[in-house]
Amino acid sequence: MFEVFLKEIKELLRDRKTLMFIVALPLLIFPVIFAVVGYMMAMANLEAEQEVHKVYIIGAEAAPEFTESVRYHKNFELVTANYANKNDIIQAIQNEELDVGIVIEAKAQPSTREQTTWQVIYNDSARINYLFRYIEELKEQYQSKVQTLSFNALGVTKESEMEFLISPIKLEKVDTADARESWGEKIGVLLPYLLIPIVLTGAVYPAIDLGAGEKERGTLETLLLTPISRTNIVLGKFLTVLSASLATASLSILSMGLWLFVARTFVNVSEFTVALSHITFVELLAMLSLLIPLAAMFSSIVLSISIYARTFKEAQNYMGPLSMLVFIPVMISVMPNMELTYKTAFIPVTNVALAIKELLKGTSEIGILAVIVGSSILLAVGLLAFCVRWFNQEKVLFR
Amino acid sequence: MISVNGLKKKFKLTKDHKKGITEAQQDPREEKDYFHSVRDVHFHCEQGEVLGLLGPNGAGKTTTLRMLSTALKPDEGSIEVGGVDLVKKPLAGRKAIGFLSGSTGLYGRLTAKENVEYFAKLHGMKGAELKQRCDELFTLLDMHSFLDKRADNLSTGMKQKTNIARAVVHRPKVVILDEPTTGLDIMTTQTVINFIKGLKEQGTPVVFSTHHLDEVALLCDRVTVIDQGLTCFDGTLAAFKEQGHSEELNQAFMNILEGHRHV
Ligand SMILES: Nc1ncnc2c1ncn2[C@@H]1O[C@H](COP(=O)(O)OP(=O)(O)OP(=O)(O)O)[C@@H](O)[C@H]1O
Ligand SMILES: [Mg+2]
Repeated sequence: MFEVFLKEIKELLRDRKTLMFIVALPLLIFPVIFAVVGYMMAMANLEAEQEVHKVYIIGAEAAPEFTESVRYHKNFELVTANYANKNDIIQAIQNEELDVGIVIEAKAQPSTREQTTWQVIYNDSARINYLFRYIEELKEQYQSKVQTLSFNALGVTKESEMEFLISPIKLEKVDTADARESWGEKIGVLLPYLLIPIVLTGAVYPAIDLGAGEKERGTLETLLLTPISRTNIVLGKFLTVLSASLATASLSILSMGLWLFVARTFVNVSEFTVALSHITFVELLAMLSLLIPLAAMFSSIVLSISIYARTFKEAQNYMGPLSMLVFIPVMISVMPNMELTYKTAFIPVTNVALAIKELLKGTSEIGILAVIVGSSILLAVGLLAFCVRWFNQEKVLFR
Repeated sequence: MISVNGLKKKFKLTKDHKKGITEAQQDPREEKDYFHSVRDVHFHCEQGEVLGLLGPNGAGKTTTLRMLSTALKPDEGSIEVGGVDLVKKPLAGRKAIGFLSGSTGLYGRLTAKENVEYFAKLHGMKGAELKQRCDELFTLLDMHSFLDKRADNLSTGMKQKTNIARAVVHRPKVVILDEPTTGLDIMTTQTVINFIKGLKEQGTPVVFSTHHLDEVALLCDRVTVIDQGLTCFDGTLAAFKEQGHSEELNQAFMNILEGHRHV
């Protein structure tokens, strides 16, 4: 068994294509993802900030100060036109002559003390849009002037009194979720999407080579004729695939840590990196020990498939759907109300995804983690037993 | 030395296989969900003899040799090699058998030397014994010039030499070859033929299947003809010519098949 394992590893290390998947993918995927996402966000923000929106105001004479503030705002351009009502504006927006229209119903004045409604008409489906926020800001400024005037007319002049009248009670939020927990929740949704498929990918390519590849090259038959039992042969192959998958998983986690560290030295210390730097070594180890049985499960499955296939191509055809399938349990884990409990700890794959999130948030429980590791190991052993029996069947080996 | 009796093997037909069978061709080997590839095969071969296994495409030669090499388990029948019952003790049998087929490949990313050594190790050889045996074969087959090249980069001839070395590295008592010369050029074919001659001189019995009757004329002491999974001739080369009513082997082969199918 060991002889088979050593030789498979040696051959694997000489295969550039497979190495690419095992080493390069996990090392490069994180910086690439970080960079691409960061870049796109920055670009979109910049664009949104620089965008100048065309505005038309109906009833501008009712709020001249407000109108002036719109005119001088860097993101607005007042258009000269003659739209009579709301419908004209909607039409104009659809024709792209206008980005936003404001309909001012009546003058807000201290003498009448009647609330008025202003309608802001625009298309809200655009990607990142600060339009409404800008208008709201300008309205607030204008509104507070009207408020001050109104209070003055009533004889209220002290700032604190005005504040009381506007809002006698102020709610103050004290969040018990520390930065880490809220970031953990966010990253925890993302990370399993990366890690779990990576663990699978790390197993797929070596498995194809070791199973179907051996059939296609015509080396399987000779291997079967050596005094090594078929069980030992398949165990040797399983260990190889598992090692590759684990190498990929550990490299991914390592690379994630490394790039976070790099990012921290370049970017100003953001909440995000500070939060994640609280992750302890023990928790990283826990993450890895969750991934080990998972890798074993994947290894048995892909090796069984690969042994069954007659050629590389056939094996690849089977693996395609599998790499789609693996997303399903991960997606289940991010469904609303999905939480790690002693029940959900028994759902394979999903439980690992949930546990990774808990570990990132720093709210994991050792008991549940043990259940996950235990149930995953049991399943992995079952799948391995199947794989071994599978490899001992003539109808699988000689098709 | 090698004795095969009443060998039978059937395969379960899958949908793929069924598709290939047209209704017009009624094959006596078909039966519901099964295909009886080998129905009754027998032959024997003594120390120092070379046996040629002949038969048309699909006759069951490969299936027979796979059972002989313990890759497949026979449904019925017995196989004995040097007094060891291969059906009961396949593991012991494997040590006694060297096997090579036309479709046998090498591990492309290992060097020629590593390929041979790997199989030596799998056969439990190590240290000085392993090194000595490998060196002996490398010299015998004149392989020293390409030992450290990866198998992927070897010519077909070099690959076949490596394959031969691999097949006999554990000093098998008998050697089984399935169409060892198919698809090889004249030079490489000669390497294989010389190798079989060498084995014969050492007294190692060889069983090989082939479609080239000139090889049979050159090498074989005995001939076995299989048709549709049945042994229809088993005897010496001289008896083969006699029963086939011809000195010319191709003609004799056709006559024997014809005779068998008309019975
Ligand atoms: N694993 C299998 N499953 C189903 N049928 C099989 C299997 N292996 C062989 N057969 C069938 O058994 C028959 C005998 O095949 P075999 O390969 O032994 O013939 P052969 O004499 O070696 O032919 P060739 O000269 O073409 O090499 C064929 O019809 C083949 O389709
Ligand atoms: Mg054949």
